Amino acid sequence: MCQDAPLTGTPERAARRLAEIQASRRTVLTAAASGLAFSSALGAAAPASAASPKTRKRCYVLVTDGCRPDEIEPTLTPNLHALREGGMYWPRATSMPVMETIPNHVMMMTGVRPDRSGVPANSFYDRELGEIRDMDQPSDIRVKTVIERLNKRGFTTGTVLSKEYLVGIFGERATHRWEPELYIPVSEHAPDLMTYNALTSMVDEFDPHLVFVNLGDIDRVGHTDLTGTNLRLLRQAALLDTDNLVGQFIDGLKSSGAWEHSMVIVLADHSMDWSIPTNVITLQGAMDEDPLLGGNVVIADNGGADLVYWTGPKSKLDKAVKRIQEIAEATPGVLKAWDRRTPWLRLGPESGDVVVFCQAGWRFSDPDPLTSNPIPGNHGHPATRSIPFFIGGGHPAVKAGKVFSAHARTVDVAPTVAKFFGMRTPAKRYDGKPRI
Amino acid sequence: MTSSKPPTSSPLPRRTVLATGAAGAAAASVLGTGVRAADAEQVSQSGQSGAAERGKANHPVFQHGVASGDPLPRRVVIWTRVTPAPDATPGSGKGKPVTVTWQVAKDATFKKVVSKGRFRTSAGRDHTVKLDAKGLTPGKEYFYRFIALGQKSPVGRLRTAPRKRAALDNLRFGVVSCANLEAGFFTSYRGLAAREDLHAILHLGDYLYEYPTGGYGMGPDNVVVRPHDPPTEMVSLEDYRRRHANYKTDPDLQALHARYSWILTWDDHEVTNDQWKAGAENHDESEGDYKKRRARAHRAYDEWMPVRMDGTAALGDGTRLYRRLRFGNLAEVSMLDLRTYRDEQVSTLAPTPVPALEAEVSDPSRSITGKKQMAWLKESLTRGDHAPQWKVIGNPVMIAPVTFGDLPNDLIDPVNDVAGILPADGLPYNVDQWDGYTADRREVLGHIRDHQVKDVLFITGDIHSGWACELPLDTSTQPAYGDSYGVEFVCSSVTSNNLKDITGAPQVTPLVESVILANNRHIKYLDFDNHGYSVLDITPERAQMDWFVIGARDDANTPIEWTTSYETLAGTGRVTSVDAPLEA
Repeated sequence: MCQDAPLTGTPERAARRLAEIQASRRTVLTAAASGLAFSSALGAAAPASAASPKTRKRCYVLVTDGCRPDEIEPTLTPNLHALREGGMYWPRATSMPVMETIPNHVMMMTGVRPDRSGVPANSFYDRELGEIRDMDQPSDIRVKTVIERLNKRGFTTGTVLSKEYLVGIFGERATHRWEPELYIPVSEHAPDLMTYNALTSMVDEFDPHLVFVNLGDIDRVGHTDLTGTNLRLLRQAALLDTDNLVGQFIDGLKSSGAWEHSMVIVLADHSMDWSIPTNVITLQGAMDEDPLLGGNVVIADNGGADLVYWTGPKSKLDKAVKRIQEIAEATPGVLKAWDRRTPWLRLGPESGDVVVFCQAGWRFSDPDPLTSNPIPGNHGHPATRSIPFFIGGGHPAVKAGKVFSAHARTVDVAPTVAKFFGMRTPAKRYDGKPRI
Repeated sequence: MTSSKPPTSSPLPRRTVLATGAAGAAAASVLGTGVRAADAEQVSQSGQSGAAERGKANHPVFQHGVASGDPLPRRVVIWTRVTPAPDATPGSGKGKPVTVTWQVAKDATFKKVVSKGRFRTSAGRDHTVKLDAKGLTPGKEYFYRFIALGQKSPVGRLRTAPRKRAALDNLRFGVVSCANLEAGFFTSYRGLAAREDLHAILHLGDYLYEYPTGGYGMGPDNVVVRPHDPPTEMVSLEDYRRRHANYKTDPDLQALHARYSWILTWDDHEVTNDQWKAGAENHDESEGDYKKRRARAHRAYDEWMPVRMDGTAALGDGTRLYRRLRFGNLAEVSMLDLRTYRDEQVSTLAPTPVPALEAEVSDPSRSITGKKQMAWLKESLTRGDHAPQWKVIGNPVMIAPVTFGDLPNDLIDPVNDVAGILPADGLPYNVDQWDGYTADRREVLGHIRDHQVKDVLFITGDIHSGWACELPLDTSTQPAYGDSYGVEFVCSSVTSNNLKDITGAPQVTPLVESVILANNRHIKYLDFDNHGYSVLDITPERAQMDWFVIGARDDANTPIEWTTSYETLAGTGRVTSVDAPLEA
């Protein structure tokens, strides 16, 4: 299925989740003055004034999910553009493979690549379970996030995530968490207005040192507009709305005086590419028909990337990998089929044995060409690697109006946050680099 | 590029006779089984020599100036030519071997020499001196000179590239191409040499021209502003050496070589007009085997130009000119060779609309880069996570597609002459540039799109006119969707004829330009009528190109004026105009 597999949020599911949270022995449910409910770690549901250590520094990581860097411009997104122009800007920033929502959010918060974090894609084949599933379990992340590092040092943290699988994988890591009670049908995410209200409410109520925010509208509109014809209008409307909310948030920081102590990191987890209806790649059939591969291959579809798993005997792995590559690269629309063990990929065994990327303007639909992935907007492939990445804020660590040639990446967020809060970091802890 | 061919009635030189003496031996090798290794080599970096000349010359020893090029963080190529005796003229094969001392210093008085050595040269390499001066510090300016036969060369200045990961505020290049000595004075070189704000010079090719005197001069009558040497078309090794030497006596060219390090590639005229991998428009059987002629041209180029071929300053070890030069985290310059490996230009006309998939120009088996260079170019564009931001492609011929609506028939020939854009029936393509190899262009732009490569900047020469273009994959949808996979800035010619020079009617140029701009929405700027140079400034935020134009080509003191500027903001692939030139 598509890289951002539609969420199946229902009132029943939301209620179940709330029940789980309420039942947790480590979590308390807090009703904020806004009427929104937050989950908080036991003992942490206290106002900001009790926060420790005593620093006025605040960091907000705002992920404009699926936003293309060229969509940040004065007319369409004046607030984001102003924030970019007034702060530090990395025009050649990119997402990292696989250019998907979950792995890149995990890279942001862990600072390490998927071979260390254990999270290479949205959808993967769980060999233990013998089924394809989303990476939405807290235990899927194998390393400590910067959220946990901050918590350990007495800082408070918050997550405001609009997608259920992000809520799932980050679990109870943050001190304070907003878990949307309902998701919009079809697009299956919490709209940015709700997310924004949760963010401002969380800041008002708890004022965590770090808040990690996912704004899902831009991405979801890109995915789910099946008509294609008015895609640009809907997309632009989403950009305008999201930009307006970011502007309101920044204005709020400035009017409260918090701006002078704040660093706001704005980036996307991936970009977006649109395919036409005929540009669909399905590899499952060709694999099944192959004498070596038939019955021994499972494919996890991630929109712009297929993760292909060899389930046959280990002794035939190398031969199978070559055969999978041959079949994939002979298929129209395929850009490249990589042996997953290729060092630069750094994806780890969870991503299977062959990672297949599509060309720009194409998408995968596996195993079924018609039903597995019918949506035009996709990512996961290299054509969706460029992202906006800039840092604003009134804190002196933020240099005003500076543009950098360095290749900033999603994996740089955690080391940047760690450095901002003065945490000593061993040289090899992070794969990313601090950008302040 | 296509240019006015000498009249076929003119007796073309048939110089296939070898030079004699020491040069003859080297030339014989060039003409035979291949280019052999140089018989003169660098003695040592530290300065030991077996036979340093003690005599002093009473004639000028350094008549051809000094030059530097291909800056790397810790080494730069430096070059000169010595004349050991009055009769040891370039290409003559005469003159004894000479040991030349070279020095690189922090100061102009050479009190703080940081690198030095001796270099043995001889007639076998036309008494040229070319070596990699090593042991330098990244991102620094140095002075260099040569000493031989009791004389010191003029002092040159060079600048090393910054260290590999350096964060740079800017990088600034002078940009030139198409300098025809017989068509005028090198005012553009004078203008660039007077600037103090450049890091290096990019030369996109047609550094010299092969024609006989009067074959390709100034304007429609081919007026010879100043005759070059030899008077005949260059065909033999001696011809090529003499023509190179002749150009290197030009004072403006010498001044610019001495002032800045150059990064060059060749186009066609360094060998002969419209050359391709196995022939050229301006070559016929009477001029001998084409590949041997090309080998001689390449040999002379290697001797006389401050470039690394096959990655070294040594002679005879290869002729690969396409190469990359990195400037910190900000930019990497990939210089292309679009002549040596290309298939022949098509002679058939393309069907309408153009380019059409069934057209010969779109035949995927035809290439302008050659397979190996194409793979190398694609690698230049996607070189992993730590590649520099701006991918600058030194591109000898235009890559932006140029299509037409209705251009008046009486303008087709002149436009064809200057830019080779239109075949006689008005169909819209130039078969000598990337428009004649559309499968290759599609492969490059498709590669950029598939990998979402940002900040690709083609810097181009060849067509004697100034252009600023976006690079769409599909020109028909570009106005609506605005897709652009890079930007192309094209500098004008130093002296070679442009549209008004050919038509003699500058008033018609605006019409041609307006037709082209109207039919090519991705082209934002076009100036068909001026000669001059450009200055390219690259920062993390944007790349800006300034166009400067000169007055009369036949006036050595003609004025220089800024005419326009365009920029592309990082990450956008778009071109916009800028109100003012860069601050020098």
